[in-house]
Amino acid sequence: MLDHYPYYVAAWIFLCGLYGIVRSRHLVHTVISLAILQTSTYVLLLAIGFRKGGYAPIFADISPGVVTVDPVVQALMLTDVVVEVTVIALLLAMVVKAYEQGGTTSPDDLRYMRG
Amino acid sequence: MLSPALFVAVPLTVAAMVAAVRDLLPRWITDLVAILTAAFNFVIAGLWTLHAIHQTQVYWFGNWFPRGHMAVGIGFVMDGLGCGLASLASLLTLLALIFSWKYVESGQRHYHPLMLVFMAAMCGFSVTGDIFNLFVFFELMSTAGFALCGMKTREPAPLAGAFNFAVTNTIAAFMVLTGIALLYSATGALNLAQMGLLLAGRHDRLVLAALVFITTGFLVKAATVPFHFWLPDAHAVSPTPVCVLFSGLMVELGLFGAMRVYATVFQGCVATTHLHWIFVAFGGFSALWGAMMCFAEHHLKRLLAFSTVSHTGLMTLAFGLWSKDALTGLFIYLTAHALVKSGLFFTSGVVLHRFRTISEPALFGRGKGLKWTGLVWFLGGLGLTAAPGFSLEMGETMVTSHAHWAEAIFILAGALTGAAVLRVGLRVFVGMGDRGPSDRSAEVDEMPETSEAEKRINWSLFTPGLLCIGGSIALTFWDRFMDAAWSSSMRFMDFRSYALAVYGHAVPLAMLAAPHEDEKLAMALACLRVVLAVSIALWAVLHLKLPRTLRWPSFLEGSMRPVRQLQSGHPGDYVAWLTLGVAVFGAAAFWLGL
Repeated sequence: MLDHYPYYVAAWIFLCGLYGIVRSRHLVHTVISLAILQTSTYVLLLAIGFRKGGYAPIFADISPGVVTVDPVVQALMLTDVVVEVTVIALLLAMVVKAYEQGGTTSPDDLRYMRG
Repeated sequence: MLSPALFVAVPLTVAAMVAAVRDLLPRWITDLVAILTAAFNFVIAGLWTLHAIHQTQVYWFGNWFPRGHMAVGIGFVMDGLGCGLASLASLLTLLALIFSWKYVESGQRHYHPLMLVFMAAMCGFSVTGDIFNLFVFFELMSTAGFALCGMKTREPAPLAGAFNFAVTNTIAAFMVLTGIALLYSATGALNLAQMGLLLAGRHDRLVLAALVFITTGFLVKAATVPFHFWLPDAHAVSPTPVCVLFSGLMVELGLFGAMRVYATVFQGCVATTHLHWIFVAFGGFSALWGAMMCFAEHHLKRLLAFSTVSHTGLMTLAFGLWSKDALTGLFIYLTAHALVKSGLFFTSGVVLHRFRTISEPALFGRGKGLKWTGLVWFLGGLGLTAAPGFSLEMGETMVTSHAHWAEAIFILAGALTGAAVLRVGLRVFVGMGDRGPSDRSAEVDEMPETSEAEKRINWSLFTPGLLCIGGSIALTFWDRFMDAAWSSSMRFMDFRSYALAVYGHAVPLAMLAAPHEDEKLAMALACLRVVLAVSIALWAVLHLKLPRTLRWPSFLEGSMRPVRQLQSGHPGDYVAWLTLGVAVFGAAAFWLGL
C-alpha cells in the first residue's frame, strides 16, 4: 500500500489541477491550476525513479556499484520544469495583455469567439 | 549527404539569430532569411525522403550507437512517412512565409523566429525515434503555436483563442508525459524500438493506461471530438499563414504522433483488433460532427477550421482500420488535405486583405471582381469533397477499398464540408441568392493583417494558394507518389523492420506497386459526392426561391443554436469536455482491451 502512495498523490494532484481549471473564475487562478496539474508529473517521475536506500546519482565520490536513484527521470523532470516555465510565462503574459485590452481577468468575460 | 540533424538545428539557429538582430535589419532581409531557411529545409528533408523511401535511415546524435539491445543515445529514425511529413512541413512553412512577405502588421517582430521554431519542431516531431523527444518536440511545437496564435495582441479575441488553445494543449502534453513516465517505469527505456521489444507480449493494466494517456494526449492536438473545442477558436483568430500551418499539418501531426507510438510500442502488446474500433468510433463521430458544424458556420476561417475537425476525423477513422490500404490512403489523404486546406486558407487571407472582413454575410457579392481568387476557392471546395481529379479522391478510395461501409461517412463528411465552401463561394464570388443568416461568431471581425494603403492583390498573396490547389491536382499524375506511400506505409506498420533499422540492420525495400482499386466504382462515388455537395450548396443559397416545404436544408445552416452553444469559448468548459473524452476513451479501452 505505502509503496503505491506517491502514485495516488500524483493522481490526486492531477485531479485537483483539473478541477481548478474547470471551476476557475480568474485567469491567473486558471494558470496556477495548470501549474499545479503539472506538478503531478514531478511526483510521478520521482516516484518511478526512487530506489530504497539509493544514493544521489553523482558518481564522483561513490563507487559505480552503489545503488542510486534513477538519474534519467531526474533529467526528464528538469526538462519538464523548463517546458512548464515557458508555458506558464507565456500564459501569464497573455493574461496581462487580456487585462490591458478588455479590463477583465474573468474567463467568462473573455468569450469573444463562440457558437 | 548532409546530416539530418540540420533540418532541426538550422531553423532553430537561424531563429535565434533573427530574433537577436531583427531590430537592426530591414523587414525584407528578415523575410528573405526566413524564406531561404525554409527552402533549405525543404531541400534537405526532400533529399532524405528520397533515401528513406528505399531504406529506413537512422542517425544517432554524437554517434552514441546502441550497445546490444540498449539504446544509449538519442536518434532520428527516418522512414518514408516521417521524412515525407518533414518535407511537407517545410514546404507549407515556405509557402506561408512567401504569403506573409510584406504582411502581418501586428506583432511582426516575433513572427519570423516563431515560424522557424515551429517548423523545426514539426520536422523533429516527424522523425524522432525517442519517446521523450517526441514529447519535447510536441511541446516546442505547441508553445510556438500558442505564441503565433495570440500574436495579434492588439485585439482581445486572439488572446482568448490562444489562451484556450494553450490551456487544453498543455494538459494534453502532461497526459502524454504521464503516459511516457508509466512506460518508462515498465521498461526503463525511452527509445521507441527498445520499448516495443521489451513490452512485446505484455498485456496488463499499466501498459493500457499508458496507451490511454498518450493516445488521448495526442488526439487533443488532432482535435478529435470532444477534444476539438480549442481548434475553431484558435484558427479563427490566428494570422492566415499560421492557420495554414495549424490546419495543414500541426493537427494531423497530433494523429501521426499517436500512430507512431501505436505502431512501435503498443502494437506488440496491448493492441487488439477490438481496440481499433475506439479510433473508428471517435474518428467517425468527429467527421460527422465537424462537417455539421462546418456547414453551420459563417466566419470563413472558423468554417475551414471545422472542416479540419471533420477531415482529421476521417483520418482517425482510417487509422482505426489499421490495414495497409487504409494507412496508404491515410497518408495520401493527409498530404492532399494539407495542400487543399492550405490553399483555401491562403484564399481566405486574400479575401481578408482585399475586403478587410472575413464574415460571409458581410462579403456577400463583393468578390465578383476577383475571378482568379474565386476560381481557386471553388477548386478548393471541390477538392474538399474529394472530387475526381483531386488526390484526396485517391486517398479516400484506398482507405475504403476494404471497408465499404466507411464510404458512407466519407461521402457525408466530404459532401457537407465541400458544400459549405461552395456555398461561401457562390455567395461571395458569384453573388447568388441572398446574404444568408448571420451568427455571433461571424460578427466578431478580425483586424486586417495588412496596411490600409495597399489593397492590390500582389503575386506573393495569390501564388501560394494557387500552388497548393494545383499541387493537390498534380499529385494524381505522379504514379510514384502512390507507390512510395504504399511501400512506406507497409514499413510503418511493420515493427520488426523498424526495430531492425534502429539496431543497424536496415533492409532495403524494393519499391512495390500499389494495388489499383476498382476505378469505375470510385469514380462513380466521387461524382456522387460532387453532385451532393453542389446541390446542397445551391439549395442553401437559393432556399428562399424554393417552395416552403423544400427549405429544410436551411435548418442545417441557421438553427443549430443548442449544439453550437457547446462551443462556449470558456476554457473551463473545454477542459471539462476533455476530461469526459479521456474518461470515455479510457473506459472503452479497458473494456475492449483487457
